[in-house]
Amino acid sequence: MPSAKPKGPSPFSHWFAIGKPLSPRSRTVLTIFSFIIPLALWSAVSYLPFLWHPDIKLTISAEREGITTIYTRGDHLSREFFPQFEAGVQAENQAVFEARESGEELTPGRRKNLKTLRHISAWGLGNGYLTPNEAKDDKLIYQLWARAAGGDFGTSPKLSPENIKVVKDNWIRIQHIGDKFSSRALPNEALLKLVPQGKRSNPVYLPAPHEVVIAGYYDLFTEQRDPDDPSMWQRALHSMKIVFGGFLLAALVGVPLAVLCGTYDFFSRIFEPFIDFFRYLPAPAFSTLLVAIFLAHDAPKIALVFVGTFFQLVLVVANTTREIDRSLIEASQTLGADQRNILFRVVVPGILPQLYNDLRILLGWAWTWLVIAELIGVKSGLTEFIETQGRWRNFDRVFPVIFLIGFIGFFTDQILSWLRVFLFKWTGETPNAFSRLVASSVSAGPRWFQREVLDQRLDPLAERRNRK
Amino acid sequence: MSQDSTLPDYKRQSPEVARRFAELKERPVKLDVRSLGKTFDSAKGPVTALNDISFQCHRREMMGVIGASGCGKSTLIRILAGLETPSQGEVLLEGNAVTGPGPDRGMVFQSYTLFPWLTVKKNVMFGLEMTGNSMTAAEREARQWIELVGLSKFENSYPHELSGGMKQRVAIARALANRPKILLMDEPFGALDAQTRASMQAYLLEIWRHIDLTVLFITHDLDEAVYLADRILVLKPNPGEVLEMIEVPVARPRSADQFHDPEFLATKDRLEELIHPKVQTEKIELPIVRMTEVGDDVE
Repeated sequence: MPSAKPKGPSPFSHWFAIGKPLSPRSRTVLTIFSFIIPLALWSAVSYLPFLWHPDIKLTISAEREGITTIYTRGDHLSREFFPQFEAGVQAENQAVFEARESGEELTPGRRKNLKTLRHISAWGLGNGYLTPNEAKDDKLIYQLWARAAGGDFGTSPKLSPENIKVVKDNWIRIQHIGDKFSSRALPNEALLKLVPQGKRSNPVYLPAPHEVVIAGYYDLFTEQRDPDDPSMWQRALHSMKIVFGGFLLAALVGVPLAVLCGTYDFFSRIFEPFIDFFRYLPAPAFSTLLVAIFLAHDAPKIALVFVGTFFQLVLVVANTTREIDRSLIEASQTLGADQRNILFRVVVPGILPQLYNDLRILLGWAWTWLVIAELIGVKSGLTEFIETQGRWRNFDRVFPVIFLIGFIGFFTDQILSWLRVFLFKWTGETPNAFSRLVASSVSAGPRWFQREVLDQRLDPLAERRNRK
Repeated sequence: MSQDSTLPDYKRQSPEVARRFAELKERPVKLDVRSLGKTFDSAKGPVTALNDISFQCHRREMMGVIGASGCGKSTLIRILAGLETPSQGEVLLEGNAVTGPGPDRGMVFQSYTLFPWLTVKKNVMFGLEMTGNSMTAAEREARQWIELVGLSKFENSYPHELSGGMKQRVAIARALANRPKILLMDEPFGALDAQTRASMQAYLLEIWRHIDLTVLFITHDLDEAVYLADRILVLKPNPGEVLEMIEVPVARPRSADQFHDPEFLATKDRLEELIHPKVQTEKIELPIVRMTEVGDDVE
């Protein structure tokens, strides 16, 4: 019989101990990893071309004769289609060569040639030789040709050897025009077209992390591109107004009603059956109705969040109220409490911690109605931005806003969960490490202010203490 | 029946004890329970929990209620507190019929039932405020009761910071602060460990000696019943009926030394007999599973 090796504890065994909580440090590590893992996956898919990258993102494009679909810089083509597109342009250039050799040059005219020349603007933009506003300035475009012909092939994109030949060939035919560029000076005879260039990329709906970070930085922290648009923070405030407005209204009406339902069977029987039915009606189904009632601006949006939250809230809070320890009510009765005192001095304080938790969860619920609410009537807030940019397929600008919504919701929740421990000291709970971290980082500013400014200036003993 | 022949008859009282009982019965009646009955409706039809319960409790008496589980002793005390209404009969407190819960009957529950959101002091003040005392009067009064149960150091603590015994002391102070005509206790020390329970029993006796207090308590602990009570009401289950009202022949003041006195043991023996009349000696049939190694026979 082979003697079994004495098994020491494996270094990983403590990570997978059934039913045992991990050490605080291990938990923190895992919490960080739970965010790092999706980010790492996203980065891998974005930056390792062999993983996925089914598309070619055009850096230099071309127009083809007789084909109406026009691709421009930044467009995505599938990797199957790109070679056809490339070959099509190459064939057109080949036709120009063949015509030249046969002595009968093609003469598409100056306008066509001007268009052909303009395609170099993609190369100029990519390398930063042009700003988007200058892309239509033909004088500058002519200078780009000069620049490329002079041996500057750029870096991103770098002109392919094939395109360098095209540039040189064309330049011979247009270099005579000189500084005083005029489209009238262009030849009638066909110029060569730049052959499309591109780099492998993911589909447009999955921008790379750095693209999202850059777009997010510009949208959130720099002046908005169109001064008539609200800034992202104004949009966020507007969205928060909708969510918190609808939620607070629902809580204001719902909590008292729910406490009554939970305390008195009478109110429970007369309200809850209908509410239980009504909560199955999807809130978005009321959107047109709400717009008809409350007109097009914020009111129907707040009303939609209200409808989406209120009915759940009443049922959840009523249940919480019912779950109060009955013996506490009985004890208060034997101590002489009347109906009013039982309600306000026993039931209400007794359910408060759980009510707070319920409302925290329902606030999250209210956030889920935000996007639908902001789409009804006049589109507004963060959703309007997501919707518009999404239509233009600027997904790199969409993601930061989606994350922003997530962050607002997540941080509010963590702060509320941390506050709970201080509001309800009597429960004897301690805040979890993560919400403590979030809250302490958020409150760092005010705490510094109190320590450094308020305490120092207003505390008459502070100076004396500091001298010691 | 494992009656120890050396034990005296539990009904024989020493002259001193007999004199005390005579005195006790001359005191005014605090609680008068008259042919009380309680029937619950269940899915299988009405269930009689209590049937024709009658007894009287005199001023400054300490009465215990004991019985096998299901004898309705909890129902009885809840009716006395006014938390349940009787189906038949009535309860008179100092001659007035009990119709609902009120501050004239203090109640101590097994599960402490302190308000967790209030400090010890505020818990004790609760009843005082409910009965119309001003905040300052309530606070002054509460402080005295907290001192009586020895928790002055903890008056600003929350219940979750206290041990079980401390919680129950607060509950007693809270019930006593309203100066109830009778203190009802529903298995008050049942959730405590043996040591804490013993000290709480001593505590209760001490408080009871110092103030004009009538106590009716429920217990399932025979020692506790004999140790604390003047008289013990023994109930039988299904339906709950009075089996016997035992006058405890143990002299007062009581102390833990008396646990082995012949009167004490005789009373306890009698209780045992009433509550567990038949000792069941069913043979346990184990499935045949070999759980030991061969040759490891313990016999």
